[in-house]
Amino acid sequence: MTISREKKVAYGVLVGPAVLIYAAVIIFPILFSLAAGFTQWNGLSTPQFVGLDNYVRMFTDPVFRLGLRNNLLIVAVSVFGQIPFGFALAYIIYRRMVRGHAFFETMIFLPITISAIVVAKLWNQIFSPRGLFTELMRIITENDRFVLTIFESRTFAIVPILFVILWMYTGIYMIIFLANLQRIDPGVIEAAIIDGAREHQILLRVVLPQMVNVVFTTAVFAIAGSLKSFDLIFAMTGGGPAHYTEVIAIYMYLNTFKYYNYGFGSAISMMIVFLSLGLITAVQAVFRKLEARYV
Amino acid sequence: MLHKQILVAVAIVTLIGSFAFAGGQQDAAEDDGVITLEVLHYLDLADNTSSGNFEELVDAFHAANPDIRLEFDYLFNEPYHNKLQSSAIAGQLPDAVFLWPGKRTGEVTSSGAVKDLSPWVDGVRDEFAPAALSPQGPNGEIWELPEQVTATHVMFANERLLDELGLEFPRTLEELLEQGEIIREAGYIPIAMDNADGWQMQSTLLSALVERTAGREWFDRAVEGEASFSDPEFVSAVEVIQTLHEEEMFSPGINQASYGEALTDFVTEEAVYLIDGGWRTSNLTGEMTEDQYEYVSYNVFPELPNEQGQAGSTAIVAGTGFGMNAELEGEMADAAWEWIYFFAGPEGSRIKAEQGWLPAVDIELPDDSPELTLKLADFLNSTPGGYVIDAVMDAEGMGVLHPLLQEMMFGNVTPQEVGNRYEEWVENNDSGRS
Repeated sequence: MTISREKKVAYGVLVGPAVLIYAAVIIFPILFSLAAGFTQWNGLSTPQFVGLDNYVRMFTDPVFRLGLRNNLLIVAVSVFGQIPFGFALAYIIYRRMVRGHAFFETMIFLPITISAIVVAKLWNQIFSPRGLFTELMRIITENDRFVLTIFESRTFAIVPILFVILWMYTGIYMIIFLANLQRIDPGVIEAAIIDGAREHQILLRVVLPQMVNVVFTTAVFAIAGSLKSFDLIFAMTGGGPAHYTEVIAIYMYLNTFKYYNYGFGSAISMMIVFLSLGLITAVQAVFRKLEARYV
Repeated sequence: MLHKQILVAVAIVTLIGSFAFAGGQQDAAEDDGVITLEVLHYLDLADNTSSGNFEELVDAFHAANPDIRLEFDYLFNEPYHNKLQSSAIAGQLPDAVFLWPGKRTGEVTSSGAVKDLSPWVDGVRDEFAPAALSPQGPNGEIWELPEQVTATHVMFANERLLDELGLEFPRTLEELLEQGEIIREAGYIPIAMDNADGWQMQSTLLSALVERTAGREWFDRAVEGEASFSDPEFVSAVEVIQTLHEEEMFSPGINQASYGEALTDFVTEEAVYLIDGGWRTSNLTGEMTEDQYEYVSYNVFPELPNEQGQAGSTAIVAGTGFGMNAELEGEMADAAWEWIYFFAGPEGSRIKAEQGWLPAVDIELPDDSPELTLKLADFLNSTPGGYVIDAVMDAEGMGVLHPLLQEMMFGNVTPQEVGNRYEEWVENNDSGRS
């Protein structure tokens, strides 16, 4: 056996099992879901081919459209809220603009270390009709029937959940940006200072251009994570009341596991994949231009 | 070269070997003559009353049946139904599972995954109330042995608070509404209810109201498509809920309150009335004091204007209970039946009656049964019942009806729109109309 062939055999033996497992756990389910999305199937009987009926049904269902809108709001909060906020906090800590930076790092990162279910129950205890916030407001307003009515608004019911998502996940982006900021050669910043650069010029001309790739990576994480949001929202509101806080993942879950519509649920899961790919492709196009300009 | 080939061979053997051992150990169904059954049970382990009561029942079963060992997996709410469903689809249903009589677990029971208990039930049929053993399958199958006949609507009243406020239980809807302001000004909640999950309003109130405004005959015709949920008979029942909400009769934030919060308000005497199912008797027995038992009364919703159904009615359905995996045979099936019959039959029912459950089996309740159990028994014996909507209509349709009721209470749809949109879904999708 030649050395080259020997290497190929070794690669195959060492990588093969992982590829097989990946194919079995990731690739096969995706292909199966794609196929099942064209069927009517309750999981117990034989699937019946129905073509694009599931996709037509999805887009004509106002509950799906509301879930899609909620998901896009979560994407927006993640990309335009968590990332800039996380970067700003990381930059402040990196540039030592506050004392006790270790304390702030810990406190900002702490929410991400708590289970999403615990976070959901925690905020439920604050916002619920018997929660801390509600009881305080009843005392302040002297109205013992006060409740937080934002959850009863079809338009704004998602807002408290967006707030919790922002609170919970900003810390992870702060850490990612902080780690990458610490990789910047301090000599470059010192040189800029010697040349008379001000803080905003250091940020815009020195730091940000080196963060373009990191911002792209975090944007991809934010989009993928936002479109499959489930645990926090399901534990907090279950997608209710009246579907007002429902997202696509909960819509998929209910149709699949509560109403035994496995074919329809598979189509919804593929829609999540398509949306993720579409948005990530769009983000890629934007960042290619930024990369060409700044890197 | 040889060294590398040996290393590669060792790696392959180790990998293949690890797959063989990855399956873990499987318990033997029979070991030393003891039959072990895997049981999936619907139980909230965070509910100390219910879980403590159930533990007592299981201990009694094990003491009476030393040759049978039960291994439980407990889940509650939607996670229970998810596991039941996925187990059935995977062909790995536990030996015994907790089931509902109607469409709540209908997909599983109609799939062939659950065994028809009729051969065993026929021998003990006379021990049970007739209503408990109504046919559950299309050919008269019995999928689960009900532990009780359930009234899903009871309007519990705190008579002590009524006396304190100079009130009596209202005879009519109008009288109830007039009480609202008096009760609120005294700092109490008129009617404690929680509806965050949506099913509570349909099951514990709307079903009973529909029996009053429409009656069973209308409902039978609506299931067949000869009547419509956009008819005044149904819409007027929905209007009652809207009126109650607009008049601030319910707990504040009812549609954000999780199931159990209303019970707490009633037990702590912050609410004058509680609307919930008869199954709450066991919780009330466990959480209230003996003094409180005396002044809790069991009632139905007051009289509505223009009632067409049974006056003074509630909504009744055969209760939940255990069924068994269709693949069980011989000793395993007999052992599973031993548990199923113990749970719902005379022995288990006697234990549960002491805990506040009213059994489906016809036993004479001991004189020292909890006071609230005796009150529930009197209530069921004297109160006619209509259908529970979610026992008769498809589960997926409840995913339309429940949010519509919530949206109506938010002021975003009218009662007529609730009826129209639910009817539209039923017309196009409900299995009863096809």
